[in-house]
Amino acid sequence: MQVNSNEEFYLRYYVGHKGVYGHEFLEFEFRNDGRLRYANNSNYKQDVLIRKECFVSEAVITEIKRIIEDSEIIKENDSKWPAPDKIGRQELEIKLGNNHISFTTSKLGSIQDVQNSQDPDGLRVFFYLVQDLKCFVFSIISLHFRIKPVN
Amino acid sequence: MSKKQTNDNSDRYKGEAGNFQSLESDDGPGPMKSIEGWIVIVKGIHEEAQEDDVFDAFSKYGPIKNLHLNLDRRTGFVKGYALVEFNEYQHASDAINAINKSEGICGKKVQVDWAFKKPPKKGALKQTKKQ
Repeated sequence: MQVNSNEEFYLRYYVGHKGVYGHEFLEFEFRNDGRLRYANNSNYKQDVLIRKECFVSEAVITEIKRIIEDSEIIKENDSKWPAPDKIGRQELEIKLGNNHISFTTSKLGSIQDVQNSQDPDGLRVFFYLVQDLKCFVFSIISLHFRIKPVN
Repeated sequence: MSKKQTNDNSDRYKGEAGNFQSLESDDGPGPMKSIEGWIVIVKGIHEEAQEDDVFDAFSKYGPIKNLHLNLDRRTGFVKGYALVEFNEYQHASDAINAINKSEGICGKKVQVDWAFKKPPKKGALKQTKKQ
């Protein structure tokens, strides 16, 4: 895999819903210059508004890119994926070199939701990639800021 | 340069909600200290490596405060990277230099580097590519 630090790179993931407790969401965004922004809004029981920003090294950015490329998410498309609904919404936007994807779908509670969809193979790629990215970001944020991200 | 995020939820970052907190740093460039220590990223880790393997390799250079060896959520094997936190800059720096040159972990060479860097200088036209 060729790593080109000059190529365009952008990653944004959002998951959330609007309900009785307001707009609850998790969102993170990576930019090519290493800036990572992390936002966590949870209004359940007490307002928790977390907004953190840091700059990760190029080594971290290339690892994120590797994870994205290995997943082959770029080959998928969301045309047959479940639309966002009252339960919630997920957004995944990635720019990697000349490739640009922007997917929107509902929340996925479990692998069962994936199996039952009209595009289980594609949605499965999304499902696991999102988990892997969240895992990485939670580690980065919790280690750097010594906070426990709310899942 | 990424364009500004456009979405239909402009309420996400209104007012106070738009203030992103970061740690203070002196003028860059270079690695950035985390809240209580110095964090390195390790890449290319063998699929079947265990936390102990990573711990043993790194604790040679100083006491380890934290270690995250994340798993691939689908396969259950390690994803391939780890984040290791040292209390001291010198220990982290020694580990980076030594382990990059070594035979790695579980017989597989790994790449170690700082995980965080200081923010690019304000008003700089170009990002500094080298840390």
